[in-house]
Amino acid sequence: MSNKNHEADVAFIKALADVLRDNDLTELQVKREYGEDDSLNVRVSRVQPQAPIAAAPVQHSVPVAAPAAAAPAPAAAPADDLPEDPAAHPGAVTSPMVGTVYMQAEPGSPAFISVGSTVKEGDTLLIVEAMKTMNHIPAPRAGTVKRILIEDGAPVEYGAPLVILE
Amino acid sequence: MAWPEGYGRRVLAEVDSTSAEGARIARSLSGPEWILGLKQTAARGRRGRPWVNPAGNFAASLVLRPTEAPEVVALRSFVASLALYDALEAVVGDASGLALKWPNDVLLHGGKLAGILLESAAGHLIIGVGVNLIAAPQAAQVEAGAVPPVSLLAETGKRVLPEALLDALAEAYAVREAAFVTYGFAPIREAWLARAARVGEEIIARTGSNAYRGTFETVDEQGNLVLKTSEARRAISAADVFF
Repeated sequence: MSNKNHEADVAFIKALADVLRDNDLTELQVKREYGEDDSLNVRVSRVQPQAPIAAAPVQHSVPVAAPAAAAPAPAAAPADDLPEDPAAHPGAVTSPMVGTVYMQAEPGSPAFISVGSTVKEGDTLLIVEAMKTMNHIPAPRAGTVKRILIEDGAPVEYGAPLVILE
Repeated sequence: MAWPEGYGRRVLAEVDSTSAEGARIARSLSGPEWILGLKQTAARGRRGRPWVNPAGNFAASLVLRPTEAPEVVALRSFVASLALYDALEAVVGDASGLALKWPNDVLLHGGKLAGILLESAAGHLIIGVGVNLIAAPQAAQVEAGAVPPVSLLAETGKRVLPEALLDALAEAYAVREAAFVTYGFAPIREAWLARAARVGEEIIARTGSNAYRGTFETVDEQGNLVLKTSEARRAISAADVFF
């Protein structure tokens, strides 16, 4: 992260947090392009409406061809528990294949999970269908469903984050 | 005909669904197993659609414990439908009028003769196969626009017993499975495409959220339906296909 942008970034994030709170949103993600290969990704979210606003990591992507002087910092990408990309979240369960997601065994059945559900290792979280093969995606470990990142009937790509389990 | 070595065979007089039974017994099996239900009381199609299954029709499931990645396991949709085509050809005596519809329906004289539904969970794969040997539902009982159901008896005048088809299918499947495991998807894909309906023609693929009309170009190396629409060339992994 380059210092010259730091203050502006903080102000920007604060402004986003205000937008989030004033509009009673739970999550907001913005990408700003500063120039070629230089951008800022910010995601701010609130766990509950009453909870304090948590600012997600801020990360300037540093161009590979950047001058060496600018290089030492990229390791400063903050390592905390709210990575900007849900797929990188340690609790993310990702799709093992390309297909279509179903949240319940069949239409009309209850959904396998909802936010707040507790699951045991091996419990079915959802189904990904491809080639008329219904793949039950198991919970890789016991935990609580924190977020569901896909909608019933939506297409998913390989590696796409499906659920955050903590 | 010889029952394939290494495959179990069980025939149940009555069962809720052979695939449900397969899921229940999967852990206790030491190898692949075919389960034939002479009568199914809770047969199911894709996404919970009812599958009418009077006695005399064929309902069987194969339980496997594949170790490949999920997208490779799913290619058994093609292995199974190709084997079913082979088996029907063997029991009927010729292949005239038979065709495959993406990803795994078997058609006879343009009507839906058989459906296959695969379910993968907890390390096992269950391939459920239903064939209208003696009776098919009325066209009004299936979704509007769907391929009309047909029965083998009505179309060919031949009465094939479920156990006879099981034997033919188990043998044909074992041959195709061995090819798949040894050589990969390529020979299965080639044989499947050679028997496919409507290649090069216009079809409609309805996915969970959209419907696409276009030319059915081919099935790609990942098993996707490749559809050339007016805007783009799309590879579709899950859809209902309408002609």
